[in-house]
Amino acid sequence: MAAVTSFFRAVTYRGREGQIAWMLHRVTGVGVFVFLALHILNIFLMAFPSNVFNSVAALYHNVLFELATIFGLYLGVLYHALNGIRVMIVDFWPGAGKYQVPLWRVQLVIFVLAFVPSAAVMLARMF
Amino acid sequence: MQAQSFARPRRTGNLERAAWLFTRISALVLLVMAVFHLLYMHIVMGQDAISFQLIAWRWQFPGWRLFDLVLLVFGWLHGANGMRIVLDDYVHSPVGKTVARTLLGVLTATLIVLGAFVVLTFKAP
Repeated sequence: MAAVTSFFRAVTYRGREGQIAWMLHRVTGVGVFVFLALHILNIFLMAFPSNVFNSVAALYHNVLFELATIFGLYLGVLYHALNGIRVMIVDFWPGAGKYQVPLWRVQLVIFVLAFVPSAAVMLARMF
Repeated sequence: MQAQSFARPRRTGNLERAAWLFTRISALVLLVMAVFHLLYMHIVMGQDAISFQLIAWRWQFPGWRLFDLVLLVFGWLHGANGMRIVLDDYVHSPVGKTVARTLLGVLTATLIVLGAFVVLTFKAP
C-alpha cells in the first residue's frame, strides 16, 4: 500500500530535476541489486562440472540479453555511479547544493559522453 | 539539562553514520572496480566469450580471484545497505520491517558465503 501511495506521489509531485535524479538513482540501484543477486548465484555454478555453467552462460550469448546488459545493466550502473558522485559532491561541499540543477545537467552530459562511445564499442563487439 | 537515563545509550545513531560512510567509501571503490569489470568483460573479453573455461582461466591468477572477491563483498554490501534504506521507505509495520530485514540478512549471508566459497576454493578440472 505504501508503495502505491509512493508511486502516486512520485508521478504527481513536481519535484523537477532533483526528484527525477533521485528516482532514477533508486530504480537503477534496485535493478542492479536484482541483477547482482542472480549474477552471484550464476557464478556459484562454477563449483559444478563445466556443462552446468555453460548451459546457463548460453543466456549471456542471447542477442536480447546482450542488448539488455548494455542498455539496462551498463546504462544503470553508469547513471548510478555518476549520480552518486554528484550526491557526494553536495554532501561534502554543501555550498554546491545551490547549483544542484546545473550539476545534474553537467552529470547528464558526462553520462552521454561516457555511455555513447563505450556502448557503441560493446554493440560493435556483438557482431 | 536533560534528565539522564540509566539505560544503555542507543548506538543506532553511530551505526547509521557508519552505514552512510560505508555507502560512500564503497561507492568510490565500485566506481573504479565495477565499471572496470563491465568494460573488461564486455569489451576486452566480449560477452560471447563468457564460459566456464574463460573464468577458470581468469581464476588461475590469484589477483583476479582477489579482484572478484573484493567486488563481491563491496558490491553486495553496498547494494544490501541501499536496499535496507529502500525497504525502510516502503515497509512501515514493525512486523513487516522485521521480516524484510531478516530476509535481506539471510540473502546477504547466503550470497557472500556462496560467492566467496566458489572464488576461493575453485580448482580447474
